[in-house]
Amino acid sequence: MHASRWIATLPLAVGLLALHPTTAAAQDPRLERRLDSATLQSVSAVIDSARLQGLPVEALVQRALEGAAKHAAPAQIAAAVRRLAMELATARQALGPASSPAELDAAASALRAGVGPADLTRLRHRRAQSLTVALATLADLVASGVPPDSAAAAVIALAASAGDDQIADFRRAVERDIALGAPPAVAAAVRVDAALRQTPGTPRRP
Amino acid sequence: MFDRDEDVLDRVIDQLRQPVEMDPTLDTAIMTRVAAGGDRVGRLAAVWEWAWRPREISVSPLAGLGLAAALVGIVVWLAGRNPRVGPPVAGPSTVQFVVVAPGAASVSLVGDFNDWDGAATPMHAARSGALWSVTVPLTPGRYRYAFLVNGSRWVADPAAPRVPDDFDAPSSVVTVGG
Repeated sequence: MHASRWIATLPLAVGLLALHPTTAAAQDPRLERRLDSATLQSVSAVIDSARLQGLPVEALVQRALEGAAKHAAPAQIAAAVRRLAMELATARQALGPASSPAELDAAASALRAGVGPADLTRLRHRRAQSLTVALATLADLVASGVPPDSAAAAVIALAASAGDDQIADFRRAVERDIALGAPPAVAAAVRVDAALRQTPGTPRRP
Repeated sequence: MFDRDEDVLDRVIDQLRQPVEMDPTLDTAIMTRVAAGGDRVGRLAAVWEWAWRPREISVSPLAGLGLAAALVGIVVWLAGRNPRVGPPVAGPSTVQFVVVAPGAASVSLVGDFNDWDGAATPMHAARSGALWSVTVPLTPGRYRYAFLVNGSRWVADPAAPRVPDDFDAPSSVVTVGG
């Protein structure tokens, strides 16, 4: 079932990649001020397509502005925006159409870090509250060196009952342990077990 | 002295025994005023007097408890009719950013929250000149950012997670819950 869902995102991904610059419609004035005309057309086409798909576009605008601020090459900016659009599309496919822009943005970061879409879907099914902090924690743990599978297992285990504050505390504890020399996977495993012990009634880590 | 007082008393009595000259229209005027509002004023005065008259009321302990419970119930019901507490709305959180940049002439905070505008959020140096900081309000979400030192050098936040970089310059990320 999951495979068919990921296959369903392919047309969108192909569409985003194949968009011709002349398809761009309304252009964001912030982009008009900061990008040259060729880059502006290319980026606006991706943004327009994402908007048509119902994806949040502010993250795309910000990624283009980041590239402009860092004086990146036009092709680099366009590629970064295109890649983020595809990650947002995959994130929405994994999390569902009701996902908030903040959740999709965090999920795109997790995907970029190496977390699989199936783990995002498991996280959605496991947690009733907003996923923004849980997804951001997932991405941050992988960026800290925790293997994606270990990070996903830990966050999914916490997700059912832990609040955002507890999940953020868990991330800080893991990062502190890693900074003190602990192997990232071990730090995540030890800290999630400790966190689960502090949350009565929480099922053990899968 | 006693005789003088008696004389005075006699004169006063004589004076009081003199017939008093009354205005012939006085009776009519008084009756007109009474007919116009005397009854209403009298009733109001009676109600006022009744309301302020102290009295003893006997209430059994059980009836007293019942009355108190009824009062509490009314207060709770009134409060529930117009609730002032709605669903929680996530407002902005204040986040402080700090970076050590000794010898820097200027440091700016640049990120998703200010359209990556290097002039939008200048940071302020502490007295030593090495520690730069700024506080910004952020609504819930995940934000990429970096510090721009002297308008040209990008520095990631050593106290925050790094994010994969698309543009050959480091960036960090901060997540505000909500």
